[in-house]
Amino acid sequence: MDNSRPPHNGHQDREFSVTADEVTCQQFVEMVTDYFEGALEPHTLSQVEEHLVMCDWCVTYVEQMQATIASLRELSEPTAPEPTDSVLAALRAKRGGT
Amino acid sequence: MQPEPATAPARPAASDEQTVAALRAGDERTFRDLFARSYPMMKRVARTYVASDAVAEEVVQETWMAVVAGIERFEGRSALGTWMFSILTNQAKTHSAREKRAVPFSSVAPGDAEEPSVDPDRFQTDDEAWPGHWATPPRPWQKPERRLLSLEARERLKAALAQLPERQRLIVALRDIEGRSAEEVCQLLGLSQENQRVLLHRGRSRLRAVLEEYLDAADT
Repeated sequence: MDNSRPPHNGHQDREFSVTADEVTCQQFVEMVTDYFEGALEPHTLSQVEEHLVMCDWCVTYVEQMQATIASLRELSEPTAPEPTDSVLAALRAKRGGT
Repeated sequence: MQPEPATAPARPAASDEQTVAALRAGDERTFRDLFARSYPMMKRVARTYVASDAVAEEVVQETWMAVVAGIERFEGRSALGTWMFSILTNQAKTHSAREKRAVPFSSVAPGDAEEPSVDPDRFQTDDEAWPGHWATPPRPWQKPERRLLSLEARERLKAALAQLPERQRLIVALRDIEGRSAEEVCQLLGLSQENQRVLLHRGRSRLRAVLEEYLDAADT
């Protein structure tokens, strides 16, 4: 490990070393939906979880994706118009075994 | 940390069998309930085939006419929703052929091309200390639940949604606005789970970036 590197401020105060096996922030942002959907392979999932323990910035990124999804949910327009008279008439014609 | 479930589960509804029996008997309450619950999704789907909201609404009403007329012939080989959806897409395609409008969903959408979720300039390069890690990290959003509900934020989000490539927009709308499950969306649209996730992720990532820009600008 290159000890001359400045601290990665998004990572909390703990031993943090970059290995070939590590997930970078840039890779992580491509996996967020797979992570939410439980679609990551076990090995990748544990890499992601390790990354999130150490990287506050990516935790912020996750929170922003969650906030984005939550605000989309608020766009739902539950109101529907009335069915047309012809549809209702076709439905009513079914009553009484017709 | 455990991710929050992305969408609320769909409201428990009557089984397909019960619904079909009720529709066959002309049960207006069941019909109106199903109509109201399905309408937003059906309109969104129709809208991806036809040129206007008005035509999309017409397609939905025609679909219901066909559903009511054809419910006797429904054999339960597929889910009721899938059967209704195939009627919907057929009606929509008929309209779009009449409009001589290309059907966007089945065509290759160049807007779906590979695109990074976050501007690559925001990450450190290979000759920096932490390659691939944030150079310009996201800043925590203050009170996002309140600020994102503002009229202005909603308008931003709607505008950004409208600008997404067709397939991304449809999938984001079905999954995140209408709260449909991944399985349902894949089945309805004939997509693999993986493709569904890729399109959903691109759409969500773009929308996050728009909201970030909006909230960061408001903070400075």
